[in-house]
Amino acid sequence: MLEARGLGKDYQGRQVLQCIDLQICEGDVLCLIGPRGAGKTTLLRLLDLLEKPSGGELYFNGVNVTFSERLRLQVRRRMSFVLQKPIVFSGSVRDNIAYGLKWRGEASKLVRKKTEYILELVGIADYADREAKTLSGGEMQLVALARALVTEPEVLFLDEPTANLDPVSGAKIEAILARLIESRKMTIVMATHDMAQGQRLANRIGVLMSGRLLQIGSPVEIFCLPASKEIAEFVGVENILSGSVTEKNGGLATISVGEVTFEVVTSCNVGDLVWAIIRPEDITFARVKELSSARNVFQGKITRMATVGALVRVEVDCGFTLLGVLTKKSADDMGIEPGVDVYASFKASAVHIIKR
Amino acid sequence: MLGVMVILFVVGCTASAARAPLFPAAERIRVATTTSLYDTGLWGHLEPMFEKKYKVELDILYAGTGIAFEYGKRCDVDAIVTHDKAREEKFVADGYGVNRIPFAYNHFLIIGPPEDPANVKGLSPEEAFKRLAETKAGSFVSRGDESGTHVKEKEIWGAAGFEHETVRKSGAWYIEAGRGMGPTLLMASEKNAYTLTDAGTFLAYKGKLDLVPLVDKGAILLNVYSVIAVNPEKCPKVNIEIANNLINFLTSPEIQKFIGEYGVAEYGTGLFIPCAGAELEIQ
Amino acid sequence: MVELWHAFIKALELIASLDSEVMEITRRSLAISVTSCSITSLICVPLGSLIHFNRFPGKSVLINVIQTFYSFPTVVVGLFVFVLLSRTGPLGELGLLFTPVAIVVGQVLLIMPIMIGLTISALSGIDGSVVETAMSLGASRTQASILALKEARFAVLTAVIMCFGRAISEVGLSIMVGGNIKGFTRTLTTAISLESSKGDIELSLALGVILLTLALMVNLLIGWLQRR
Repeated sequence: MLEARGLGKDYQGRQVLQCIDLQICEGDVLCLIGPRGAGKTTLLRLLDLLEKPSGGELYFNGVNVTFSERLRLQVRRRMSFVLQKPIVFSGSVRDNIAYGLKWRGEASKLVRKKTEYILELVGIADYADREAKTLSGGEMQLVALARALVTEPEVLFLDEPTANLDPVSGAKIEAILARLIESRKMTIVMATHDMAQGQRLANRIGVLMSGRLLQIGSPVEIFCLPASKEIAEFVGVENILSGSVTEKNGGLATISVGEVTFEVVTSCNVGDLVWAIIRPEDITFARVKELSSARNVFQGKITRMATVGALVRVEVDCGFTLLGVLTKKSADDMGIEPGVDVYASFKASAVHIIKR
Repeated sequence: MLGVMVILFVVGCTASAARAPLFPAAERIRVATTTSLYDTGLWGHLEPMFEKKYKVELDILYAGTGIAFEYGKRCDVDAIVTHDKAREEKFVADGYGVNRIPFAYNHFLIIGPPEDPANVKGLSPEEAFKRLAETKAGSFVSRGDESGTHVKEKEIWGAAGFEHETVRKSGAWYIEAGRGMGPTLLMASEKNAYTLTDAGTFLAYKGKLDLVPLVDKGAILLNVYSVIAVNPEKCPKVNIEIANNLINFLTSPEIQKFIGEYGVAEYGTGLFIPCAGAELEIQ
Repeated sequence: MVELWHAFIKALELIASLDSEVMEITRRSLAISVTSCSITSLICVPLGSLIHFNRFPGKSVLINVIQTFYSFPTVVVGLFVFVLLSRTGPLGELGLLFTPVAIVVGQVLLIMPIMIGLTISALSGIDGSVVETAMSLGASRTQASILALKEARFAVLTAVIMCFGRAISEVGLSIMVGGNIKGFTRTLTTAISLESSKGDIELSLALGVILLTLALMVNLLIGWLQRR
């Protein structure tokens, strides 16, 4: 549906985006994640045809829409954008929503019907006649969303839709989006730095860093199989250890990490320098050395513990630092506390290897 | 609704402002006149009379002789009425004007504060000026605007043996007003100063002034008003027909009589003496 | 003080008696200034909008120049227009000198910089994302600019008031290019100038009161529009 080829954008000599190749199909919910300044907003703006790229091309349903002003306006009218900090126009909420339709020249009867429908859908019918500028941040964002939806866009762009909102309003917005995704199979492209949100709503995630699209795939791929150290760090993988491949036996390999060795599954060859990435959730703890299928078992001392919600994050010193996570109950049951000795184990298949 | 009213209002104003030049109702003639004739109110009477007789719109520009010549050279007026013989003759000689037609005259006066600090009463104009410059006993307000009156003032300075430029810079006692005759009189009165004025304007303003005539005799004080039609050869757009009508009007016996009697009832004596056609020698 | 009070009374008398000459010059002042203001608004509000929303080399220099012309002396503008419209000047063929149209032309030139400059100011005062948001909702550039002007309408209408005030209160230009011709190009301000120089202070003050009243009425009208 929407395709970007080699898209790039620079502002006054600063390269904000480069070599972006992206395809968005109908029904996709693509979430762009990345640190601030990565270029997420810029990419959304280019995709929504709000700005012209400095390089590369954009196609909508196969038609090149990069250059012609007329085409751009036409296609832009088939899409909608909700900005990060929504601004509302003077007038009532109803007036605000009606603008998009009026600009497209729709008949006033139709405008009224569609406006009423959207007010109901988004759940803001109660303050339809209030001055839009007197609303709270959360309410304004709902109005912005309603404004964007009333024109029945084929693609909806959202830039950090819940970033500036309190949790209650944020949840409301997410609920509406989830409903739209489910009932209408709406195509959505959204930027966020809340990865949990990305995981909840999206079927595809793209990682943008320093203006480049480093990886794009399903949530599982991104979070469990990050393609690079930077991505791993960003998505919250905390055990990133450097090592090299010393032995290889079919799919199984041995890597040396500092003074110890791990058994891992990888296609890398002997001599390759690698990063070993282990998710905290994949580490199991025991007070006693147990017989398990895990090929990697290390003994160590608990150095630090921190409670996060219902979970406990544990830092173990086994000659190298390992970060794991336990439920509070398990921790209590096992008597795990700082200073205590434990055995940390993980499967060979749990170690994700990235060539350095 | 109010929006419609506002628009109508604006359109109405535009139409009103644009009316005259875009949809001329009647023919127009523009005349630049010396301020002294205007300030006496004479034009106020002559204008409607002329307009009625010839069925044209007469536009009077309160100009001052200096700028009147400039308007004439630029073809922005159809006729000029001034009182500076030398420049008028040059204007005609240079081809800007058709002919110089004197139609009325009076005299200039040197007026000043009743106390007469410089003691110029009864002197000749040249001697009076000499005393003013030497004693600086009182202020002098000059027209300072290249008008006929101003040019006459410079002439008297010259006759008294002074370079006007020197007099201008000789002290704070010499004030250049840069305004018309009426306003200059008011300023002089305000400052209790001496000034040169034509008799007509002085009489018309007498009630508002605290100044009295001190010097009124002297050949150099002759003040002749003439009308000149702008030359259609240099200015093709000039309405020469109506300009000539104006000349005929000013020199007609009826109007000449009117001019001669103007002011008698109000001020006791006429402000002007008609002299149609006749070239006056300096008496 | 007594003089001012007398002037006020005289003003009321002139208005109540519908003195024909005073009515005439009042009508003319209003007609000329409303016309200049309207023409200038029609040209300069879109022009200011264009300058504000587009990037081009020399933009800040242009805005600086415009702002410099805010307080250009009226007599100088008058002189310029005089030379332009004089029969011997480039536009002499039109024969517009010493007519109300000449005054309109002069006033338009006089207030153009103010109108453009203040429109740009007004638009700078609204949130930068207004145009963007509008465009993201499908507005064309023109539609978005019109919306921006609507959002800034308070400040834009203030600009109109300022321009009207400057137009109706200027003297130098009206005298120079209008000629202060009785019955034709005499306005309230030129009449005040003439009457006061002739010494009729009371009449001048009275005319001044009428002028102020006019300005007040126009202000109220635009104030009403601002609130809508």
